[in-house]
Amino acid sequence: MTTNDNKLVTTRRNVLFGVGAAGSALATGMTTARAAEKQGGQVTDAPVSDKTQERQSFYGLHQAGIVTPRPAAGMIASFHVLAETPADVERLFRTLSSRIAFLMQGGTPPELDDKLPPPDSGLLGPVVPPDNLTITVSLGSSFFDDRDWLAPHKPARLSRMKASRNDALDADLCHGDLALQISSNTPDTNIHALRDVLKNLPDLMVLRWKQEGSVPVLPPKPDGAHESARNFLGFRDGSANPDANNNALMDKIVWVPENGTEPEWTRGGSYQAVRIIRNFVERWDRTPLGEQERIIGRKKATGAPHGGGNTEHDVPDYSKDPEGTVTPLDAHIRLANFRTKASEANLILRRPFNYSNGVSKSGQLEQGLLFICYQADLEKGFITVQRQLDGEPLEEYIKPIGGGFFFTPPGAQDESDFVGRTLLEAAGHDVVRKS
Amino acid sequence: MKLKLVLSVSLLTLAAAALPRMANAEVAPLDLVQPIADYKIYVSENLETLVTDTKAFTDAVKAGDVDKAKSLFGSTRMSYEAIEPIAELFSDLDGSIDSRADDHEKAEKDPEFTGFHRIEYGLFTENSTKDLGPFADKLMADVTELNKRVTDLTLPPEKVVGGAAALMEEVAATKISGEEDRYSHTDLWDFKANFDGSRKIFDLVRPLVEKEDSAFVTKVSGNFDKVDTTLAKYKTADGYELYDKLTEDDRAVLAAAVNTLAEDLSTLRGKLGLN
Ligand code: HEM
Ligand SMILES: [Cu+2]
Repeated sequence: MTTNDNKLVTTRRNVLFGVGAAGSALATGMTTARAAEKQGGQVTDAPVSDKTQERQSFYGLHQAGIVTPRPAAGMIASFHVLAETPADVERLFRTLSSRIAFLMQGGTPPELDDKLPPPDSGLLGPVVPPDNLTITVSLGSSFFDDRDWLAPHKPARLSRMKASRNDALDADLCHGDLALQISSNTPDTNIHALRDVLKNLPDLMVLRWKQEGSVPVLPPKPDGAHESARNFLGFRDGSANPDANNNALMDKIVWVPENGTEPEWTRGGSYQAVRIIRNFVERWDRTPLGEQERIIGRKKATGAPHGGGNTEHDVPDYSKDPEGTVTPLDAHIRLANFRTKASEANLILRRPFNYSNGVSKSGQLEQGLLFICYQADLEKGFITVQRQLDGEPLEEYIKPIGGGFFFTPPGAQDESDFVGRTLLEAAGHDVVRKS
Repeated sequence: MKLKLVLSVSLLTLAAAALPRMANAEVAPLDLVQPIADYKIYVSENLETLVTDTKAFTDAVKAGDVDKAKSLFGSTRMSYEAIEPIAELFSDLDGSIDSRADDHEKAEKDPEFTGFHRIEYGLFTENSTKDLGPFADKLMADVTELNKRVTDLTLPPEKVVGGAAALMEEVAATKISGEEDRYSHTDLWDFKANFDGSRKIFDLVRPLVEKEDSAFVTKVSGNFDKVDTTLAKYKTADGYELYDKLTEDDRAVLAAAVNTLAEDLSTLRGKLGLN
């Protein structure tokens, strides 16, 4: 026994200091043994992630969750808001901000007497991990329309989403006074966050609808290169998105500018368009590859545009293809972005997730795209692009069934601030910034 | 030894510090005796009404008087809905008296589907009392049996106090949508009874909570008032408007009030020191 123990110690030292050939051989042997031991896990062991401590900051000029790289799991939850008076709206905004700040930071919820319901659902354990969570608060048109004192301060381009020609909107999946976009590394973290919000604001918000989604994860590339995730049509989605790290570009495309035609309080905010778009995936999977690629306007495997280029980052040159012999004139990407000087005004930042909801009455998969995009000008952005897309061949495979338009106010600057403060101040409601 | 002592003392302090909102330790078990006794009377009164009303209702069904039976449906259920937490202690009876079509595999056609909602289906969807006789007899027998069983029952305090929240949970989970009385749309009658039943419990224990946490009492009664005001808008000469008349906005007001009452009343047991 003693000898054995000694040997173990030696081995460990050898591993630690990496001495001699014999030492490394022993070390390798041990690593294998350890690995084998690890594989002997139990069926219900929790899957392991080294990303639970990833954290995004809640504070800043803009809300998090817009130019923040999209994590694996996302959700939109839409609410009816019962806060009518300035005081109640302030309580709503403040409570939301303080819950979001806590959830994004992570930490330990207070402990109460065990005769009382616990303040936290506990589904992530006694210490809430940040897990890369962001919660983005946005306001619907009705939030302003239904409150006389807020109506004059409604963002200039905010409207109630109207049906496009291919839409079959389900009233129970549309609009809302307030929307939360919740995204993080796991669906569980998102659900935990939603339940926390619901529990803390039962008298001011009633949940109307929600849609969860995800994007497939990929192994890291050895050269550190980035790839776009794929949607449920099997195509890369996001390839031609504008560069979210380019602040000047984001100022132009995403953030409501200063001295614009918008109320001053909206500066640094953004318009959010949400669409729940069902994909008829069985039919899509029975469509020839060439046709799929013509409908989208890109190669399925690589994401590269037609007519040259091997990667999704290559861009098509429509000026050399006026007849659409390379990229059909009605291809999705060609209608979505004409790639002219003028069409630069219509650029949007997409941040979608794939959703899967079960089975339709006809026995088909209910799945599709939880389309989310942000833009400084809703009319020049989503509304114009969607109008261009109306009638596209892709429509045969998709059916928008829900969603809504929202305005995402600027961020909370620090702990004394909260999302929505600038609106309340604009409406003449005195807000005390306390820390 | 000494070290150990110091340690355990500081652990105690820690534990106390970690429990900033102690459940109300001031309420002695004896304090609950009177409220529970009063509640028992409330339950008995409701059950008596239920037996009388169900008799009139099932008589109308058996006499083939569709209109009369329809007009009695909403009001007859109210005394049942008001004491549902107690009625539900007998799950066999609750199932045969108040289950819904979706509780049964073959829905409306399922032979196990009996009780109020089976008769409701016949009256309001098929507009007939045909074949309803046996269901009427069974309902009358079940209601009579319920009354008998509750008479012999000692009400468990935690069930009574927990009942205030339980009623709100029921409304929040499966009633606010109008799915309870889906053939007759008399849901607002049920709402009224559920809220009254919950408020009754709250009012009975209110003095025990008031001195400790008056803000809580004010908030809860404020939300009950909000519900009353909202439902009052839908009052008619002999009851309530049909559920379809409930506006989107008022439904949201009710939903928020129910959710808030459910949250707040979920602490009532703890506040009274009950497990
Ligand atoms: C289920 C519905 C949709 C699917 C499956 C889909 C799929 C795709 C795919 C595969 C691409 C090419 C890769 C990329 O650049 O991301 C793309 C590009 C694009 N899509 Fe969609 N999309 C859908 C809906 C929409 C909607 C509703 C809009 C806006 C109204 C939109 C706007 C765009 C834009 C702007 C581009 C980039 C075009 C470019 O700059 O080249 N898409 N989409
Ligand atoms: Cu019931």
